[in-house]
Amino acid sequence: MKLLKRRHRKVMELLESDNYHDDPHADLVMSKKIPKFDDNLEHRSTRTKKKERTAEYYQIKYRKNFQQLVDEDRSEAETNKRVSYMDIQCEESLMPPRHFCAVCGFLGQYSCLSCGTRFCSIRCMDTHADTRCLKWAA
Amino acid sequence: MSTFEPRTYSRLSDRSKAKRRRSSIGPNESNKEHRKDTNLRAVIVDSGAYTIKVGLSTDENPTILANCIMKAKSERKRLFIGNQINECRDCSGLYFLLPCERGYITKWDVQKPVWDYVFSKNICPINDNPVIVTQPLFNFKSIQDCMDEIFFEEYEVPSMFRLNPTDLARLKYVEDHNLSDKVPCVIVDTGFSFTHIIPYINGNKYLNGVRRLNVGGKLLTNHLKDIISYRQYNVMEETYVINQVKEDTCYVVKDVKEELKKAAKSGIANDIIRNYVLPDFNNIRRGYIQDPNNTNQKEKEENCQILRLNNERFIVPEILFHPSDIGMKSMGIAEAVVKAIYCCPKDQQENLAKNIVVIGGNCKFPGFKERMYAELRSQLPHIWDINVYQPDDPISYSWKGGKPLLKTPDFKSFLVTKEEYEELGSTIIQQRFNTWMTDNSLVKEEQKKTIEEYRYLDKIKGRTIFGKQENGNSTEIKTYSDTSSSTTMGQENSGSGTPVSLVDEPESTNGSEETSQDSFEQISELDTGINKPVKKNYC
Repeated sequence: MKLLKRRHRKVMELLESDNYHDDPHADLVMSKKIPKFDDNLEHRSTRTKKKERTAEYYQIKYRKNFQQLVDEDRSEAETNKRVSYMDIQCEESLMPPRHFCAVCGFLGQYSCLSCGTRFCSIRCMDTHADTRCLKWAA
Repeated sequence: MSTFEPRTYSRLSDRSKAKRRRSSIGPNESNKEHRKDTNLRAVIVDSGAYTIKVGLSTDENPTILANCIMKAKSERKRLFIGNQINECRDCSGLYFLLPCERGYITKWDVQKPVWDYVFSKNICPINDNPVIVTQPLFNFKSIQDCMDEIFFEEYEVPSMFRLNPTDLARLKYVEDHNLSDKVPCVIVDTGFSFTHIIPYINGNKYLNGVRRLNVGGKLLTNHLKDIISYRQYNVMEETYVINQVKEDTCYVVKDVKEELKKAAKSGIANDIIRNYVLPDFNNIRRGYIQDPNNTNQKEKEENCQILRLNNERFIVPEILFHPSDIGMKSMGIAEAVVKAIYCCPKDQQENLAKNIVVIGGNCKFPGFKERMYAELRSQLPHIWDINVYQPDDPISYSWKGGKPLLKTPDFKSFLVTKEEYEELGSTIIQQRFNTWMTDNSLVKEEQKKTIEEYRYLDKIKGRTIFGKQENGNSTEIKTYSDTSSSTTMGQENSGSGTPVSLVDEPESTNGSEETSQDSFEQISELDTGINKPVKKNYC
């Protein structure tokens, strides 16, 4: 059960991720020759008084991750008695979940004995057991 | 932290307040405004998590460009912002820097350069025009602070107004269909990060009915990526290409089981299978569905990788309607619309069903609207009329709402000027933005309900736990009902539903009644138990 939950969380994280691979430029050593963002842009002349602020300035000043923002919002909403981000999340469905074969995508009425993944036929079961069965995974 | 009285002024009172504020600035201001009345122009920015829709209010259509910075494997010396990606020769393995996390801007080091680019001469310079910018519902305070700072201090906009994209969509809908401004409607905005269902009553968002479904285009693309990688090629790194595959091939079906039967057929009988020619960024820049009759292309396609799509085409968008397919504990988009309608006042429910507007990129799946209608039809009472309206351009529909917004009488009093920002600070102007077109008022109605319910609870409690009628019962009821009203919101929606105040409450009444701490713990235990069935009553 714990395993299932962990797996599900992992899947959801994957589905929410921006990229699967690592930054292809990560190995670049920053040198002055490499153009910065600003080189792509025309400088605005409107900013009169102060010097233009860099993007890093804002990132550092407002560096809050999503969870922090939600927590903050929640506590603030509680004191002000208003509806907040967390409150409008959809409830669980009243309809029963449907099951699809994890291998081929058709309706899967059987589930794997070791890990509970759904499949539809012996062929798919074999494929599943050979590839994504989490029996031996942590 | 400073606490505010929960101000629930409607637009009317907002206007009067704004007028008062303006008068404090000076007479020059109003003169200038009279002159501008004749041709008010504004820069409208619908800044979504995936695309930014930007343009002058006088433009027919907005410029749509990606709200991200991309890194290509092939070109190591430059970054691509927005539509600059068209200059990139090889778009395989693009690496995305997205400014938003679950729809809310958190990476300012990405957002700022993108905005810089958007407001540069290349796209849409601000040029002292007022700016109308969108933000997601319940945008967090610190994000709004930063937006204020960037727009007023960095871009030095003369005046700004910030609102939810669905507000604009509603204005556009009302204008297009010659409806009265008060007509109730439900706006379903299904975008990149999430799907919002927002009922509007009397022109205001009815917050108790609002629902969010954490399924958006990003999740669908990632899911498609995952299943293709498992079944065919490894495309985990090709978000950009697979997103195009999704846009080109996926569609929504009316009946999944029927469609699955069709998809299971082999040979010519199967009219669902499509061969998708993947781009090689040499001869083919954008993938497309292979046309089996066109033999001219065959030669060109010989060396290309071809993706075979069968049930993926409709199983992926199914997640919108049944998030439980991938194990999400959430209702689908249609069920959530039904729920949202039922959370609204009874007398408005039927009218809400008559005006359901679907916008956002996911509406572009063929068959989306029909499926939506079919599901709603089966879940709502048969005597109700149901209308699902999907604009031809669901992505830029909100942006187009900027024009009717400018036509709104007194629009200029909504605008917050730079002077006001400097004078009043972020907090006050944010109040103005956030309360515009929102309706908290009906919370009161529910408060009454809960008060009664707690009275009922107290009666039970008095008898069953202590086994005797308590003397202080009447006073207790009073205090409970006071606090219960304050916690209505939290309890009603938070799901976990532990009545915090009830647990804390005894401390104040402790002195008058000689009850031990233990028995109070019992109460709190029992409360949560009783609370559950009662909670079902509302919504």
